[in-house]
Amino acid sequence: MKTWIAILASSTALFAASCKKGDDAGNAKMTEGKGAAKAEPTTGPVSLSASGSTFQKAFQEVAMDSFMKSHPDIKLTYGGGGSGKGRQDLADMVVDFAGSDSKFKDEDKAKIKGGDILYFPVVLGAVTVSYNVDGADKLNLSPDTLAKIFQGDITKWNDPAIVADNKDAKLPADAIVVAHRADGSGTTDIFTKYLDAASGGAWKLKSGSTVDWPKNTQAGQGNGGVAQIVSSTKGAIGYVDLSDAKAAKLHYANIKNKNGKFIEPTSESTSAAGEGIDVKDDLTFSAVDAKGDAAYPIAGQSWIIVYAKQADPKKGAALKQYLTYLLGDAQKDLPGLDFAPLPKSLQDKAVAQLAKIQ
Amino acid sequence: MTGKPDLRGKGQLADKAFGGLAVGAAALVLLILALIAVTMTNRARPVLGHMGLDFFTSSTWSEHDNIFGALPFIWGTVYTAVIAVTLAVPVSLGVALFITQIAPVWLKRPLVYLIDLLAVVPSVVFGLWGVLMLAPHLNRSFLTAGIILAIMIVPIITSLAREVIETTAQADKEAAYALGATRWEMIMAAVIPHSKGGLVGAVMLGLGRAMGETIAAALVIGSSAQIALSPFKSGDSMPAVIANQWGEASDLQKSALIGLAVTLFVMTIVVNLIANRIVQRSMQKSRGA
Amino acid sequence: MQELVRALDLRPRRTWRGTKNMIMTVLLGGSVVVVAVPLVLVMVSVFAKGGSILFAHFPKFLTADIPPTRVAGPGMGPAIVGTLMITGMATLIAVPLGVMGAIYLHEYGGQSKFARLVRFMAMVMTGVPSIVMGLFIYVVWTLNFKLQGFGGALALACLMLPIVINASEQMLKLVPHSLREASYALGATKARTVLTIVLPAASSGIVSGSLLAVARAAGETAPLLFTIGATRVLNTSLFHGDDTALSARIFENAKEAVANAQERGWGAALALVLLTFTLTVIARVITAFATRRK
Repeated sequence: MKTWIAILASSTALFAASCKKGDDAGNAKMTEGKGAAKAEPTTGPVSLSASGSTFQKAFQEVAMDSFMKSHPDIKLTYGGGGSGKGRQDLADMVVDFAGSDSKFKDEDKAKIKGGDILYFPVVLGAVTVSYNVDGADKLNLSPDTLAKIFQGDITKWNDPAIVADNKDAKLPADAIVVAHRADGSGTTDIFTKYLDAASGGAWKLKSGSTVDWPKNTQAGQGNGGVAQIVSSTKGAIGYVDLSDAKAAKLHYANIKNKNGKFIEPTSESTSAAGEGIDVKDDLTFSAVDAKGDAAYPIAGQSWIIVYAKQADPKKGAALKQYLTYLLGDAQKDLPGLDFAPLPKSLQDKAVAQLAKIQ
Repeated sequence: MTGKPDLRGKGQLADKAFGGLAVGAAALVLLILALIAVTMTNRARPVLGHMGLDFFTSSTWSEHDNIFGALPFIWGTVYTAVIAVTLAVPVSLGVALFITQIAPVWLKRPLVYLIDLLAVVPSVVFGLWGVLMLAPHLNRSFLTAGIILAIMIVPIITSLAREVIETTAQADKEAAYALGATRWEMIMAAVIPHSKGGLVGAVMLGLGRAMGETIAAALVIGSSAQIALSPFKSGDSMPAVIANQWGEASDLQKSALIGLAVTLFVMTIVVNLIANRIVQRSMQKSRGA
Repeated sequence: MQELVRALDLRPRRTWRGTKNMIMTVLLGGSVVVVAVPLVLVMVSVFAKGGSILFAHFPKFLTADIPPTRVAGPGMGPAIVGTLMITGMATLIAVPLGVMGAIYLHEYGGQSKFARLVRFMAMVMTGVPSIVMGLFIYVVWTLNFKLQGFGGALALACLMLPIVINASEQMLKLVPHSLREASYALGATKARTVLTIVLPAASSGIVSGSLLAVARAAGETAPLLFTIGATRVLNTSLFHGDDTALSARIFENAKEAVANAQERGWGAALALVLLTFTLTVIARVITAFATRRK
């Protein structure tokens, strides 16, 4: 009898202890993947939570780490999950800001609960076409070939269209396994917009954050997921941002740009693409299929989207501080992470827009 | 505890309370199962209202167009489970027969431990191995998923098969030997006919387990929404879809995923019920003999 | 005489039947090898790859926070603590309830309609896929109480409950009825008899059965995916904020293409395998000890 009472008592104690402890353990920590926890506003320190684009995730992790070191009373988390999730979370006001590689669609604008939104561009980056094929260290691919591969018209690696651009490579007769994003993705949006613009009508599947891919293709979660499919599947091809492709040690192709040159995706060729962009008033733009000899054609970008009206002044102030950092000092870290910094004129416009956050 | 304790009143109350607690704990099983059925079906209603019976017959799954057809995933679940069972049954049966009929006594215990070890390894570890060591060579497909599932269900089938085989009457075995049978012939003449029913049940239990397995399938099946006959093609299965798509799902999509879970729930329960019935019947028969 | 023997030639001959027997014996032995091969391959990978990070960076691997995906280096502390706490809480819930349920079935219910129904449903419940349990707890708990370790514990407890009930009932059946009758004869109530006589007699079996259920729960992933969220830093509370566990972490890292994250995945796999193996071995030792004593 006595042992049972002892067991009961100690388990109740355990119960009570785990209830009380860790009140602050729940608040803002570095979370990744699903479930960005809602940050509770506190009187002293401030917590900001974000989710969205995996395109800029690597940048966010590094930037948040260094920002928190110099601002110990501000806690930041970035949950990833894809641009679609980020926009939805922001619309539902579950997060304080969202990372997204594409704009809100017109029909989704009605769902935004918190009023006007502002787009702050923070990175430029390259979307690589990564592949896993023996005998092809550096492939050249043209946009119409790409379109046909990704929509299932070209099914083998030794197809004449691919061989035509790659006379030196020994391409096997293996089947091509196409990998794409399962989640709502700004990277998909960038890639498909490029195919729409540059393939000369060959691309039939339209553009957007989600696309009706052919049924025999494989889907991955996030840029990391597609990278993993490509790295572990013989004959695979997929679109992955440069930062993730390099981290996964993937081979990626040189793509034929508007001027007819095959360009390798690098920080420099991305900056070259960023030079001629046409920026709208709300600071949105598209950098795909840019002019210029050295420009990489599948250049993408990612924004931080915030509400113009901030309900909590402490959070608004912290947000402004973090954005200033992202648009200023953090830009220096970008080449090291295989992104490209914003062109100066764009940077200035973004900093000026900070004043609009109330 | 001797003497004359007056156990009326106080003792009776505690006794009744204890009995009540026990009933309550047992009833919990019924409560949980009922709750699962009710709450999950409730949550699946939005998508069923939206798609109607097309949910089960359509082969298009597009969150972007809000069309949710579960057919490719029902196919994937059944197909990978069938592949798994096809691969696992000969092996499991062989091991069970080896352990019970051929192995010398000193070998039996270690072999049983070997099978137990296989059962203890968590499925996620098999999944990790599958995606990082197997997939680069075999690519992701129904077959790759089937192989991993087969490895995982071998212990279940083997241990149940062993139990059933060991109920074979010694007299029947000796009769076969007396008639001049070799060991294999004895197995075919005495052991198998006797154990047939139980073995079928064991196989079905393995099938049920393979259908419900999430992680290993999610990692190596290929995540393609296609219904294909070739085992070398990639596909998807219900639990894998739920695990992979949950994080970024919209509300209607979450309802669709829960709908998949309900479908999976019903299918695995039916398979398990049939399996248990068959096993019980065969155990009864052998006890009768 | 000798000519007769030679003429009859009664030596045993190689027959087709004999050869067939030998082939089948080899095949049956071969199936054991076939089963051993994947087990060996998996274990070698887990110990070699996991060991290189777990043992090389011992004990840092077990205590440090989980680094971001691309960063090299050890760290699975939060996941280990998470697994221990979540599985521990699940055990605290499932084992007492399961044992009580078994007590009802064997000591009170017997073959009554209700008891037979419960027994049947418990058997049905063991076949429910773990992902269904996870979604179930998501719907009834997480939606109301947010992502937290306790939700995961509830889901695991639902998985463990029928296993504990079944195993405990088997153990209770083994307790000789004479013990109970002696206790009743001395005037003890049923509750007292069960608590002081029957349970202690069945305890080793119940403990070892429960340990096996715990080992199974520690390795489950799907129920946790929907209920506990994800975090890379230590969370010592089951009720506040996201948590993580070894199984969930292995799943996440298995989906990564970056070698550093994959390496941590192997290390976590090794930690999990060691944990489940230890629990299983302890369970077996308890059983062996108990049977030897009898």
